[in-house]
Amino acid sequence: MTAAVGTQETDLLARLRAGDERAFTALVDRNYGTMLAVAQTYVKSRAVAEEVVQETWLGVLKGLDRFEGRSSLKTWIFSILVNVAKTRGVREARSVPYASLAPEGEEAAVEPGRFRRPETSFPGHWQAYPRDWRGLPEEALLERETLAVVTRTIEALPPAQRMVITMRDVAGCTAEEVCEALDVTDGNQRVLLHRARSRVRAALERHLDG
Amino acid sequence: MDDAAQHITCQEVVELVTDYLESALPADEAALFEQHLNFCDGCVIYVDQIRRTVATVGHIREEDVPDETREKLLTAFREWKRS
Repeated sequence: MTAAVGTQETDLLARLRAGDERAFTALVDRNYGTMLAVAQTYVKSRAVAEEVVQETWLGVLKGLDRFEGRSSLKTWIFSILVNVAKTRGVREARSVPYASLAPEGEEAAVEPGRFRRPETSFPGHWQAYPRDWRGLPEEALLERETLAVVTRTIEALPPAQRMVITMRDVAGCTAEEVCEALDVTDGNQRVLLHRARSRVRAALERHLDG
Repeated sequence: MDDAAQHITCQEVVELVTDYLESALPADEAALFEQHLNFCDGCVIYVDQIRRTVATVGHIREEDVPDETREKLLTAFREWKRS
């Protein structure tokens, strides 16, 4: 595993340890949504998920002076979060955690009906090409309505998929950070990311073509 | 290798795209993937859609911290600083 702590992080750590309130609130702000999404994978209610996030920050403060930077700060914070959430999840008798992070069943990225059937010529090729989004005006994908579709789709994903796409594509964590913090294999992380991205693409397609 | 193993279908491309973008495909499969894109406009479009999907997801606004929570955490931070 590569040394995860860069200059920027060394700076941030120094500011936190020096008691810089702005650095602390910025860090809380930046990670809150993702932390909430991760916590909700493990506990039943939104209210408990919020408590988990708060408890996590208290844990972060407690450990901050001893944090040695063997993993990135983000990975460390999310590992604490997962531990707190698991403990709460068990106490709530909802002990799904680890098993539910393994992708379940099969899931096609694109409806099989969009491909030519086995008995035809060119089986498995597109019946009709998807629409070329490169022809869309640049703002089309960033319009408020489009972003609302994406938000709703992510909220409706199975929890493990939601957690992975939120950490990777919303919060910008690396694959390594996700695997380490959530204790999932690289392969499972990728399957979950793949399914989540495929579902969001399909929702965008329905929205843009609709 | 028989003929069937030397090319992949569009239906396979849409399942391999994440592994491809994550550079997780073995070299020979990555070569087949790229070879497919060389002659299939539909899959070029699809891969582009996935890239744009990822970029769009990066733009959604995450939930804000409730003021009350921020205050509570800030208080905890101040106490921590003093201790």
